[in-house]
Amino acid sequence: MGGISRREFFKRAIATGVVSGMALTGAEKAAEASTGQEPVGTFIDMTLCNGCEGLKVPKCVSACRAKNQDKFPKPVKSAEIPNYWPQDKKEDWSDKKGLTTRLTPYNWTFVQQTKIEHNGKTYAVNMPRRCMHCDNPPCAKVCPFGAQTVTREGAVLINPETCFGGAKCRDVCPWGIPARQAGVGLYMKIAPDFVGGGVMYKCDLCIDRVKEGKNPSCVEACPNGAIKFGPREEMLALSEARAKEIDGYVYGEKENGGTSTFYVSPVPFEKINKAFMAQKAKQPNPDAPGYPGTPVNVGNFLDTPNGVTAGILLAPVAGLFTAGYKAYKTMKGEDVSDR
Amino acid sequence: MTAKNNGAKRPTILRHSLTVRLIHWTVTLSTFILIFTGLGQMPIYKRYLLDQVPGFAWSSNYEITVYVHYIAAIALVFAAVFHVVYHGMCRHFHILPRRGDLKESYLLVKAMLTKCEEPPCHKYLPEQRLAYVFIAGSLGTIIITGIFKVLKNLPSMANTFSSDFIYWMTMLHNIATFMVIFGIIAHLGAFVFKANRALLPGIFTGRVDLEYIRHRHCLWYEELCSENIITPEQIAGTASHAPAEIQDTQHTA
Repeated sequence: MGGISRREFFKRAIATGVVSGMALTGAEKAAEASTGQEPVGTFIDMTLCNGCEGLKVPKCVSACRAKNQDKFPKPVKSAEIPNYWPQDKKEDWSDKKGLTTRLTPYNWTFVQQTKIEHNGKTYAVNMPRRCMHCDNPPCAKVCPFGAQTVTREGAVLINPETCFGGAKCRDVCPWGIPARQAGVGLYMKIAPDFVGGGVMYKCDLCIDRVKEGKNPSCVEACPNGAIKFGPREEMLALSEARAKEIDGYVYGEKENGGTSTFYVSPVPFEKINKAFMAQKAKQPNPDAPGYPGTPVNVGNFLDTPNGVTAGILLAPVAGLFTAGYKAYKTMKGEDVSDR
Repeated sequence: MTAKNNGAKRPTILRHSLTVRLIHWTVTLSTFILIFTGLGQMPIYKRYLLDQVPGFAWSSNYEITVYVHYIAAIALVFAAVFHVVYHGMCRHFHILPRRGDLKESYLLVKAMLTKCEEPPCHKYLPEQRLAYVFIAGSLGTIIITGIFKVLKNLPSMANTFSSDFIYWMTMLHNIATFMVIFGIIAHLGAFVFKANRALLPGIFTGRVDLEYIRHRHCLWYEELCSENIITPEQIAGTASHAPAEIQDTQHTA
């Protein structure tokens, strides 16, 4: 092999390189750019929300529950739901369907309330909470079963038919939004005593209504016009203008790498987060999800792995050139290290 | 390639070059890390309490496992591309399947079980060639689907791929992972057969007993003899354990 010609070397190099390149990038056709419906957004003006004072349940919450009642989980009887073996626990909210003061599989939005002192003034903070429908949602991206999708409008959806209830989406969500119900879903048809945990539930932005050109139910139900809905950029501009107007703060623009839900408050969200976390600590089970904070500038779970993406994309190039160099030396008989 | 007798030791022949061994162990190590951290994305380590085992608390931390998964992926992709390009260019095709390998594999396994005479073999046993295609195909599927899974995580490509496409990439990635696990079990399971154990030192030292090769891989042996890689003196040395060393060009794949 020591007699290989330069021409033969390059012929082989090109042939092998082309085949490898096709294998690595040939599925390019499968990548299609999303076009069509524009991304939507929500602007929640907390100066207008009073939590529907006087009502037992805020109207946005009632409207959400009424709209989505058919989508709520229908698990087997509580006694028949197996524990998450080998642990002796399960996430079963079926006996707490009426709970409206936190996120559960049966309650996809709620109004968090607290009082906060800021600049010598006491503010009543009312914050309707639900999925923020992030721009690059880690929940959807890292679902090991591919059970989550992002619509062209930007709504993040969970497919209850394929969700296995591993709750990874909740773990990577900075707000722990998705709520798990055991005893329902695909895992019940496989080996519920040993694998699977149920189905994750959360706000779907009333995507069926949005696709019909209507507003989500919570937006329609708000008596104070505190929740506005429309094109994402328009909602962001409105929220920024409002924040400037009241010398307030925007939450949701940068968090988790950007979301489509923008809150405006006269109180810094650092203070709101502190108050909500203090409330959470007083809950019967402080570790239980469904009571989100407002961590300011919280990063996206994917930021760290995305930082080494260049390495993965460059690895084939490095392999190609190293192999080419090594093959050249081997064929020329110059490299004795293999002997 | 060398065939040599180290003093009183039995003469051996180089079956796997240093390059082959380095790539093999890079693939092995990265694949084991990828399987462990990949299963950690399922998620199972918290559920099944592995993170309660001392030293494994990190196993249920997705931030750690996904980062390690990416790093191991860099090593695997590098090794896989190197393997294809290097052996493609050097035309080392001994490991690629030949016509009739399925039947030959059946006959070989039957011979091992019944202690009958085995069919003559090339450098690689027919089932090794089939196992190679199975494992390489599975790893190739994992790499290609994995690259799309990595790309879709980038903010700049957040809406580039359709949900259906990503769903199938995910499913294929998962299925190919279990194919690799099965392939590894079968690969290691081959050493249950005593007849295969003489091949084991080859992946560590590169060298395999020459007498073993003469009997079991007789077609490769004949090939080496006809190309004067193994000389009549060497053959005689094999039988008598006489010292001998012969240099040759690269034949490993």
